[in-house]
Amino acid sequence: MIEMKHVSFAYKDHQPSVRDLSFRLEKGEFAAILGANGAGKTTTVRLLDGLLKPTSGQVLIDDADAATSQVSERARKVGFLFQNPDRQICRNSVREEILFGLRTVCGGEGEEALQARTEEVLKEFSFTGEEEPFSLSRGQRQLVALASILAVEPEILILDEPTTGLDYRECCHIMNRIRRMNEEKQVTVIMVCHDMEVVLDYAHRALIMAGGQLLADGPVPGIFRDAELLEKASVLPPQMIGLGMRLGDGFENACTPEAMAEAVMARRKKRSVPHE
Amino acid sequence: MNNLFQYVPGNSLIHRLNPITKIFLTIIICAAAFITDRLLFLVGLLAVDMLIGIIAGVADRTWNIFRGLLKIAVFLFLLQVLLTRKGTPVFWIITDQGLLTAGKVVLRLVVVCMPLALVLAVTRISDLTNALVQVLHVPYPYAFTLSTAIRFIPQFLEEMAEIMEAQTARGVAFDKAKGLKKLSMMLPLCAPLLISSVRRTDQTAAAAEVRGFHLRTRTSGYKRYPFSYVDLGTVVFCLLLLAGAIVL
Ligand SMILES: Nc1ncnc2c1ncn2[C@@H]1O[C@H](COP(=O)(O)OP(=O)(O)OP(=O)(O)O)[C@@H](O)[C@H]1O
Ligand SMILES: [Mg+2]
Repeated sequence: MIEMKHVSFAYKDHQPSVRDLSFRLEKGEFAAILGANGAGKTTTVRLLDGLLKPTSGQVLIDDADAATSQVSERARKVGFLFQNPDRQICRNSVREEILFGLRTVCGGEGEEALQARTEEVLKEFSFTGEEEPFSLSRGQRQLVALASILAVEPEILILDEPTTGLDYRECCHIMNRIRRMNEEKQVTVIMVCHDMEVVLDYAHRALIMAGGQLLADGPVPGIFRDAELLEKASVLPPQMIGLGMRLGDGFENACTPEAMAEAVMARRKKRSVPHE
Repeated sequence: MNNLFQYVPGNSLIHRLNPITKIFLTIIICAAAFITDRLLFLVGLLAVDMLIGIIAGVADRTWNIFRGLLKIAVFLFLLQVLLTRKGTPVFWIITDQGLLTAGKVVLRLVVVCMPLALVLAVTRISDLTNALVQVLHVPYPYAFTLSTAIRFIPQFLEEMAEIMEAQTARGVAFDKAKGLKKLSMMLPLCAPLLISSVRRTDQTAAAAEVRGFHLRTRTSGYKRYPFSYVDLGTVVFCLLLLAGAIVL
């Protein structure tokens, strides 16, 4: 459970970046934060993890005020993927990188268990473990950063643009992995994402931000049907929903290609009845 | 900390000085501070520093720089005072000589550091580079290197802060450690910082090359840096300052 209560935040000597934000995520929820560049998404997730202290208001993690404990103490519970993977990577090989994260937070479980877990994660992400992180491509570095966070198996996952810079296959791969953690282990996921197709496919709930404020908070895909709201937040709806909304007239509810095809077929049947 | 190096736009007398004059002024103040051996003269120099800040309209910044330096100064002062044995004791192991020397050392530090920081605050780095190239005939690649280095300092600091934040989120206890402990925890993180800055240097060089860096010559800049009467006045003031330091 993670909750924000009337949180406002301003960077030093700046206008507020986040204003009076309130929402609550229950255990096992999968939520996405959407909004234009500079809307305050990164600021919001940093507040959630306690990396920033709210200027006013409260952040609660499992009903405890986040301000009463240190961020590093919560690392076991809360995993945080940064927008820029290079800030996080600090070891010379992918294996070391994953082990490093494990050792800092799960040191008590014994070196052998950690080694085994590392090998598992390496295999899952198709790394040999010997790669030098800094000579990998940006997308691959993103995968390294994500792998080292997932290895820890946190209860809450905060992801700042996890799929940016990944190709379609890798994107599906890691999102499926995240979904599995969400479904099997009831991990709470909150991700910032600019790719509405990913949001539509994976998230159950969307928080839409604009100018540091929460414009809307609702279920996916329903929230994508509010054209006026999306316009205000400069968010383009996923393609199928956009198409359905433009067609109107019964097509609005189709949000996958399959559903759209079905709706078209149903329509044809209905139309062809008088001719027969 | 970051904005300590940022340019403050303005149109004050100091802003309009030729960049070369500003550098000259800085050098003269430093020289004067090292030549003179009188406490009062050093205090005077400090007043000059402050005055420059006020005329330039960056009183806030001046105060911030001063406060920042003061922390180091207090440390140095104590060290000096406690380690100097010469002179007559005033109190406990503290001697009058110790106090005097410490005062001078500390004042020198502050007096020397302030104009440097102030000049950076009121001069565009690009103006500094161009003027160096045009007026002093410094080869462009060297001037470019200098200006790029200065420009990277705040980025460097910001990056370090972000890296520490990222590691805190992974459970490295930066938020609990203090002082030396924290420093020792930071050391292993220097590798990624170094790698990313080398990479950035590479990228900057490539970008500069692609945009015709090697075609640039001394006459390429369109902005001219003429000397005005204010510059002349400043130079005269500098010379007086220097003479004062030598004579007094
Ligand atoms: N370190 C900082 N200091 C001052 N202002 C900042 C800082 N970081 C962000 N801001 C400001 O806060 C606002 C929100 O920034 P934030 O990074 O949260 O946006 P975002 O929604 O994550 O955007 P993006 O989609 O580009 O990642 C912006 O107006 C930005 O200028
Ligand atoms: Mg962001």
